[in-house]
Amino acid sequence: MDLRLSPVHLAFRDELRAWLGANLRRPWRDELRDPGHSEDSLMQLRRGWQRKLHHAGYLGLDWPREWGGRGATAVEKAIFDAEMAEADAPQIPNTLGIGLLGPALIHHGSEEQRRRFIPSMLAADEIWCQGFSEPGAGSDLASLKTSAVLDGDHFVLNGQKVWTTFGPWADWIFVLARTDPKDRYGGISFLLCKLDTPGVTVRPLRQLTGESEFGEVFFEDVRVPRANLVGHVGEGWRIAMTVLAYERGAVGLAMANRYGRDLRELAAACRDLGRTDTASREKLARLVVENDVLRAAGVRMLATLAEGRVPGAESSLEKIMWSEFDKRFRETALDLLGPGGQLLRSAPGARSEVDWAREYLWSRAGTIYSGSSEIQRNIIAKRVLELPQDGR
Amino acid sequence: MRFALSEDQALLQHSTREFFAAEFPMERNRQVLEADGPGFDPAAWARLAEMGYVGVTVPAARGGQGLGAVELAVVLEEMGRHGVPGPLFDAMLAATLLAAAPGHEALLADLLNGRRLVTIARDEALYAGPAAVDTTFADGRVRGTKHYVPFGGSADALLVTTTDRIVIAHGPFAVTALPTFDPGERFASVIVDGGAEPLGPLTLLEPIDRLAAVGAGALLLGIMAKLLETTVAYTRTRQAFGKPIATFQALQHRMADMLARTESTRAAVYRAAWCIDTGDPDGALACAAAKAWAGDAARLVCGEAIQMHGGIGFTWELDVHFYLKRAKTLEQHYGATGAQLERALAATGY
Repeated sequence: MDLRLSPVHLAFRDELRAWLGANLRRPWRDELRDPGHSEDSLMQLRRGWQRKLHHAGYLGLDWPREWGGRGATAVEKAIFDAEMAEADAPQIPNTLGIGLLGPALIHHGSEEQRRRFIPSMLAADEIWCQGFSEPGAGSDLASLKTSAVLDGDHFVLNGQKVWTTFGPWADWIFVLARTDPKDRYGGISFLLCKLDTPGVTVRPLRQLTGESEFGEVFFEDVRVPRANLVGHVGEGWRIAMTVLAYERGAVGLAMANRYGRDLRELAAACRDLGRTDTASREKLARLVVENDVLRAAGVRMLATLAEGRVPGAESSLEKIMWSEFDKRFRETALDLLGPGGQLLRSAPGARSEVDWAREYLWSRAGTIYSGSSEIQRNIIAKRVLELPQDGR
Repeated sequence: MRFALSEDQALLQHSTREFFAAEFPMERNRQVLEADGPGFDPAAWARLAEMGYVGVTVPAARGGQGLGAVELAVVLEEMGRHGVPGPLFDAMLAATLLAAAPGHEALLADLLNGRRLVTIARDEALYAGPAAVDTTFADGRVRGTKHYVPFGGSADALLVTTTDRIVIAHGPFAVTALPTFDPGERFASVIVDGGAEPLGPLTLLEPIDRLAAVGAGALLLGIMAKLLETTVAYTRTRQAFGKPIATFQALQHRMADMLARTESTRAAVYRAAWCIDTGDPDGALACAAAKAWAGDAARLVCGEAIQMHGGIGFTWELDVHFYLKRAKTLEQHYGATGAQLERALAATGY
């Protein structure tokens, strides 16, 4: 066992910290509580931040050098995520483009597609959203119905996608569409569609937080050039599954950093508010304990990557752990803060260190997106415990 | 960076697993557990000592193996998994404490080679509550009453906490057995009233507390891993409604949660052990978190193991209850959850 970062990784981390010190104007939480900001201006800020990262060579870190990356390892990518979380840097708008589409193009796209799409994606000149989920296809993604019918040198798209992150700001969408209704997995293809194509309608989807970071995208006889097919017809499912593996890095450490920051604030708030009774102290302590266990799991995952192993179902364990903890954490934070924890930012007397009300609401999403907790448990039951499957 | 055990550590794990599997099969363990005796088989205990297990964390210069908390965790995880009865863990802690002070060579050597048993006597409260130490040491005599002395009935000497130091008291003692529902631990109340020699200041216990937290966490980890295996195996064979109950999603998801608790405990325990061995500043929090988490996780895993076995899970015949009882002892001793939560807050300064 050796849980120290190697000298190379330590140097990378220190370089990153120095860069953040010089380039991050203020933490994201401070931007959020700045009354001068609107949803649009926050989005602009994220774009600007992405460009800064890109120019410094921090995006697509683990991609081959020719595509703007550094050929960095998964460990460096995880360290990058952990440091961004610790510094509370803004989330880049092209998370999904860079997280999912980039790897899809690198591994399955044509040279032309890579040249056309990757540079503008990295520079935040074109923002991508993900068109996987549908109103009738969430956890059971392969039941998706959006159809793509080949007509000459175009696919004609019809259907509806939902939960398209950053949909309202996006320029492009990558879509899983059905090219063969009879073949559940082999009948799905991976297409790239510009959102200003005639027949596309994007509608913001108001979330229970009141924000509209997600959208719905409707396709009505939308003509997508055949050149925008990634891989071959019928390869969409396979491509999606391989790139989803990229989404599963070692996020535990980044999450533990993020929650650790908020826990410090919660502890300070408890002192301010005089919540130092035994029951309150125990609640706080249990959060401290669970976050430290999440940190340990994150360190273990980082070491797994450093050993050169590809995390399989371990990422499911990690996802359940941080997302379920997030809910318990935010719930307990409201217990400790009392009714004041529900105050909106704009309310007189609302605490400003963390938007506790918003975090509480947001924590409801983590156990649903990127594979719900139920799907993660299915994966663990099947792949790790190897429990017999009953027609499922 | 590497979470996996080193080659030597993996070898230790392998040899320990083989040794426990050969020397401590559950049928034999049950005979010891079900008997009124000392809670261990003296011949088996002698072999354990002969193998050097008592001195895993004792410096080589003092006759031990000179290994660290990670190796201690490796051994104890296997001990937990195999349901090995007896005072190994308590003797390991006592040996580490004894070796933390100079001198006392003869006693340490006897403890390491199994000729004399030494454990630590600390608790003075029978129930939860203020557990102030009233035991005194003056003029070469120690006087006081200790409860929950591990294997107190078999101990030849005790490392006794007093108001201002730790002393070594030699038996025979006035001992009253303190049976609990866990036959894997033989506690006693001990009246110490006699000559004793000073061992050192109470601060010697701080590293022992951390080692105890990690060790108990490792034992709990072994118990959880074993019960998860047992439960998965049982649900795969047990038929209901014409199919193995392991096919039911309601059970699959709960077994996935058992795995999640077990594996998060593994991460926490071994990271904490590593922090001890490297003097990492995160160690204080990591040890407290590992023990507190392991105790809670074991509640879920043991409870679910019994529940998913159904009626048979409630029988004496099935081994699962021995593990449940052991887990409860480990949760409530070696720094109970409440104490670990306080340590976690102290470590963060919150």
